[in-house]
Amino acid sequence: MLELAIAKIKGNYHPAVGEEGVIIGTFYNLRKEDVVLPHFRGSIIVPYMRGASLRRLFAGIPGKLTAYSHGRYRGDICGPFELNVIGMYSGALGSSLSLAIGAALAAKLKKTDNVAVVTFGDGTSNRGDFHEAINMAAVLNLPAVFVCQNNQYAVSTPFCRSTLCRSIADRAPGYGIPGAKVDGNDVEAVHLAVQEAVQRARDGKGPTLIEALTYRVLGHWVADPATYRSAQEVEEWKKKDPIDRLRKKLIANGTLNELQVEQINKSMEEKLSVAIDEADKDPWPDQQILGLDDVFAGGR
Amino acid sequence: MRKLTYQEALVEGIREEMIRDDKVFLMGQDIGAWGGPLMSHKGLWNDFGPAGRMIETPISESAMVGACVGAAMMGLRPVVEIMFGEFLALVMQPLACDAAGMYYSSMGKVRVPMVLRTKYGVGPHRGHEQDYHSWLAHIPGLKVVMPSTPYDAKGLMKSAIRDDNPVVFLEHMNLYHAYRQDIPDEEYTIPLGVADIKRTGKDVTVVATAMMVHHALEAAQELSKKGVDVEVVDLRTVAPMDMDTVLTSVKKTGRLVIVYEAWKVGGSGGEVAAVVAEDAFRDLKAPIVRVAPPHIPIPFAASLNKLYLPDKQRVVEGVEKVMAY
Repeated sequence: MLELAIAKIKGNYHPAVGEEGVIIGTFYNLRKEDVVLPHFRGSIIVPYMRGASLRRLFAGIPGKLTAYSHGRYRGDICGPFELNVIGMYSGALGSSLSLAIGAALAAKLKKTDNVAVVTFGDGTSNRGDFHEAINMAAVLNLPAVFVCQNNQYAVSTPFCRSTLCRSIADRAPGYGIPGAKVDGNDVEAVHLAVQEAVQRARDGKGPTLIEALTYRVLGHWVADPATYRSAQEVEEWKKKDPIDRLRKKLIANGTLNELQVEQINKSMEEKLSVAIDEADKDPWPDQQILGLDDVFAGGR
Repeated sequence: MRKLTYQEALVEGIREEMIRDDKVFLMGQDIGAWGGPLMSHKGLWNDFGPAGRMIETPISESAMVGACVGAAMMGLRPVVEIMFGEFLALVMQPLACDAAGMYYSSMGKVRVPMVLRTKYGVGPHRGHEQDYHSWLAHIPGLKVVMPSTPYDAKGLMKSAIRDDNPVVFLEHMNLYHAYRQDIPDEEYTIPLGVADIKRTGKDVTVVATAMMVHHALEAAQELSKKGVDVEVVDLRTVAPMDMDTVLTSVKKTGRLVIVYEAWKVGGSGGEVAAVVAEDAFRDLKAPIVRVAPPHIPIPFAASLNKLYLPDKQRVVEGVEKVMAY
């Protein structure tokens, strides 16, 4: 719902519709001291889960004054650092894995049992950063959890045309670390796998590589018609929608009833609508925010 | 007072900062018992290795720098060595695309207090010599230091480690073990972004960095015999660049020669020339001259190296040109 709401704000957002199971399952129930580095696709949800204001997050999409970066940087791919969220500070993929092992190294050198959790796409798994960061995390025995949010498409390139191994998790033995493959549309399965890896990391047993297989239901960005794949394929995956699956499961096991689900949805819709309206009316940043002398900490 | 080499002065500066602040740690390839390439970490392993403050890594430059950026964001003060400046292309994403802009982009909430050490410079080592400082100086948010003497190397290294920004520290291989200089017993630091007048003179300003400062000083000595009084300004830090000192000097002498080891085309010396042309045009008595390598890949043979690199003679010729105008 959040993803669909954002899609309405701006034409070039990269929607994570269909991939929510991986995002929620991975980043739920971490400590606030743990450092999280969400994949750009779905990166708005993660700071929200950690207590960020919806209005300020939405203001970050066009870059309004009320955004966490006051409009200096794009909020759709870079969450607020004060919540121990490390977003993308450039539009280039891959370095988040290296930053993650740095955060993990800091946790280790400070003698805490905090961890760093990073998600990235199947496309990013073919960057050199993937290899360098995971190998280094392995040899330095760092408390990092690597989760590949495999949505089977890197822009228009299907997974099967970029990668011949069947699962990204199959690469784990090559680094001498445990790997796990989970159904990314089963939020509980993702959560259990990630929590097991988090516990290993907290216990000083090093990193884990998880692949959560999911599907990118919409285009690479919202206006992408995604003509490079069949409608039938999309329809098949829509039937496996992770939110739908969780709802059915919760109703079937008696945790929630239809009415309660309805109420949750309605209340969220209201919150979203208010936040979007507020962000929409918020002012644009001006000359003062341009900050010609703000490049260096401590001044020039 | 003790006499130290450039390499020894760098190591001493790092050692003092590690003792001073336990947030400082070192990362690099082969920096442990072996002592680091060209002894860049000599003697540090015994004191800091067992405590886990020196991290030896696989050959993974991009991840090394990315990891140091991440650790710096979380409040530590990494000093990472990328063996040679020739490898800087491998680390530009985490360094220039990510780290450099973080402080600005986050409205000052993210700080990246790290130092990236790297060796470069045409000299006796016959390889890995590329001076890529102009790439780095172009990026807003990076500080770039290029010391020319052991004294400066130590004082600037200490300031670089204490700085809250990503600092690239370029260590010239031809100076590394070249000579010794008096280093005070008491602690001192040298601020980043402040040039140093290595020789005062009234006729012409020569702006130089690192190895080129030495050629400029030799040239100045020779020219003094011919009655030309040269002022040598050592930038020490090319980003941020201390143009106030340069402009003050040029306003006094009215003539400017810029000497640098990076390629002339697109080099940071061009920026010095541009700022002087913009801000002190009326003070100039002659057109500005740049003495820098031609726009070709660095040739290998020693004889070609000599033809490629600015030396004392080339600086003398540059000064004579502005004096004859």
